[in-house]
Amino acid sequence: MKYASLVTALGVSAAAAAMALGSAGAANAEVPSWCGPKKATIALLDGYGGNSWRQVTTASGKQTVELCPSITKYEYADGQGDTQKSISDIKSMAAKGIDALVVFGDAGPAVLPAITSVYKSGKVIVPYRVNVGGEEGKNYSKFIGSSFVEDGKSWGNWIKEILPNGGNILFLSGPAGNSQGLDELKGMKEVLGAEYKFVNPEPFAVTNWDPALTQKVLTAEIAKNEKIDVIVSDFGPSLVGALPLFEKQGKSIPALATSDGNSLGCFWQENHEKNPDFKLFTVATGNDNVRLAVEWAVALATDGKPPAEEIFKAPVFENSVTGKPNAVQCRKDLPGAIYLSSELPADDQAKAVGQ
Amino acid sequence: MITSAPMPESFSRKGLQSLPLARSFVTVVLSTLALLLVCWIFAPSSLSWGALSGSLPFAAIIAIVGLGQLLVVQQGGFDLSLPGAVSLAVVVATHYPQQNDALLGQAVLLALCFAIAAGLLNGVLVSIFRLNAIIATIGTNALLYGGVFAVSGGVPSITTELLANIAGGETLGLPNSVFFALGALAVVSFVLKKTVAGRRFEAIGANPLAARAAGLRVRLYQMMAYVFAQLLYCLAGVLIAGITREPTAFQGDSLLLPSVAVVVLGGTSLLGGRGFPISTVVAAFFLNQLSQFALAVGVPYSAQTIIQALALGFGIGVYSVRWRVNLKRTTGSKNVEEKK
Repeated sequence: MKYASLVTALGVSAAAAAMALGSAGAANAEVPSWCGPKKATIALLDGYGGNSWRQVTTASGKQTVELCPSITKYEYADGQGDTQKSISDIKSMAAKGIDALVVFGDAGPAVLPAITSVYKSGKVIVPYRVNVGGEEGKNYSKFIGSSFVEDGKSWGNWIKEILPNGGNILFLSGPAGNSQGLDELKGMKEVLGAEYKFVNPEPFAVTNWDPALTQKVLTAEIAKNEKIDVIVSDFGPSLVGALPLFEKQGKSIPALATSDGNSLGCFWQENHEKNPDFKLFTVATGNDNVRLAVEWAVALATDGKPPAEEIFKAPVFENSVTGKPNAVQCRKDLPGAIYLSSELPADDQAKAVGQ
Repeated sequence: MITSAPMPESFSRKGLQSLPLARSFVTVVLSTLALLLVCWIFAPSSLSWGALSGSLPFAAIIAIVGLGQLLVVQQGGFDLSLPGAVSLAVVVATHYPQQNDALLGQAVLLALCFAIAAGLLNGVLVSIFRLNAIIATIGTNALLYGGVFAVSGGVPSITTELLANIAGGETLGLPNSVFFALGALAVVSFVLKKTVAGRRFEAIGANPLAARAAGLRVRLYQMMAYVFAQLLYCLAGVLIAGITREPTAFQGDSLLLPSVAVVVLGGTSLLGGRGFPISTVVAAFFLNQLSQFALAVGVPYSAQTIIQALALGFGIGVYSVRWRVNLKRTTGSKNVEEKK
């Protein structure tokens, strides 16, 4: 329908077409190459949907699905952090006759048997972001990972720019042994030489991405280390409550390399003048990882042309030193828990997180 | 339950009554001093003023939830609804005002209402319907988490400026949360030790059957233990909302185990009876300093966890050994020891 009406519009008036191109409607009208002619249904399965990052991600996934008119039905299920529920969600979606499934397998390899059985029954299934083990073509159609090593390299390169002669780095990540943190460290070590010293316990200071624990860890590290030149954290917003500790102990907030978040950007804008060393560098927090996974799933299910990329690489987002690609962003009128790096417009994100 | 143990007799003997108080207090204070000494030798940075003022708010939080848990444990119960209660207070105090200072008062009142309702629910289930405390409070916890999701959708919200100043600020060089903890301690200690209601409360915890025979309203007192515990959790939740600028919706989860640990370290029997509020608060400081020590020595995370577990096990171990010797010597009764 939409396609036909666009053709009519183009035929009727060139001026109307020019206007359509200038407006957001143009994106809807152009059917993307990954969207094939075959009709199909798709489901997005979340292992855990209860935070703002996931809500923005889910909204992004839905928006991507809507770009393809061949998709006749879209469903969503939230595993609520329960591995059993995630497994039964995957199986019941397949039993309901959904053709393509995009899975955020939070439980890791525990959901692989369910994914494999769905794949063997002839469905398209695309796990993304969290590694579930198994291999492509045997256990699932395609795995769309995110390159955390790449994030580590981006941070490392920036640290080299601002501290060319080396310095002390404090690296904070989530739960002990999480593969994201380990990959990021690998990326940083590829770029940084021995003159850059990690002052945290190997491999990273454990914060569980919990703001209260982050605050405790940072308290101890600030007291212990006379000089911290740069903090690297893979979840910037959880640091916002802890950074004022530097001022309490009479020091400037140091440079910070992390992932973006609206509350962090606003915090930087309010505090960088008082804290001369407070430089900020962020990579996109990766909500758009889901878009690539959805594009692959839709392409395989509708006989479209699969995207060229197979791994999501989070682009650099903010750099307070050069202002490239962006200066630090802050939308005070919107909730702190949204991500301005996401392709999803900020106002839609605010709606998605229900504020 | 040791409902038939000869507790009333020991209560009447003044000498014995004062001994365990001194012992629990002395034990926990000595352990704390020993820990401070170890900190001073191996991780002096954890005793710097910056580190202390950064970590004391968290000790205060543990102290407050510990006092709440203490009241329930004194009645021979267990309150596993603590995580839900604290988290609900956190999200109500952050989501309801949406960074508008003028709405903070209403938000706190609302959080108090939820706390009283949850406490009454726990109390009715345990004292009137005689449900096992662990099962009843797990159910309430699930219900409270339902509330957490209803209010927040699981999404964190930024705290109001006013609350951040009240809970996260400093007065006379000390974090404000410490004053809140000391205030809670003063109220709990005074009511428990110096009022008729408090004395009855302890007697009921020690032996509900005997207290009932003496004509005390056992069920009412047991119910109130859960209500007052919830009020303390609520206070802790509101303080956390101010101390961490952007608290998650699950901030109470990590407080359940510490709350029980400080009650036990403080010398209160898990079977109920006498409570030791001051020792509980000192134990909260001990536990917090222990984790700061583990962080400050800069060992890997696995070793940090082991250090904490060993120190805690050692503390409780030393404590229970001395307690047993004490019982044998003072009562000379095998009977009592077996019942322990």
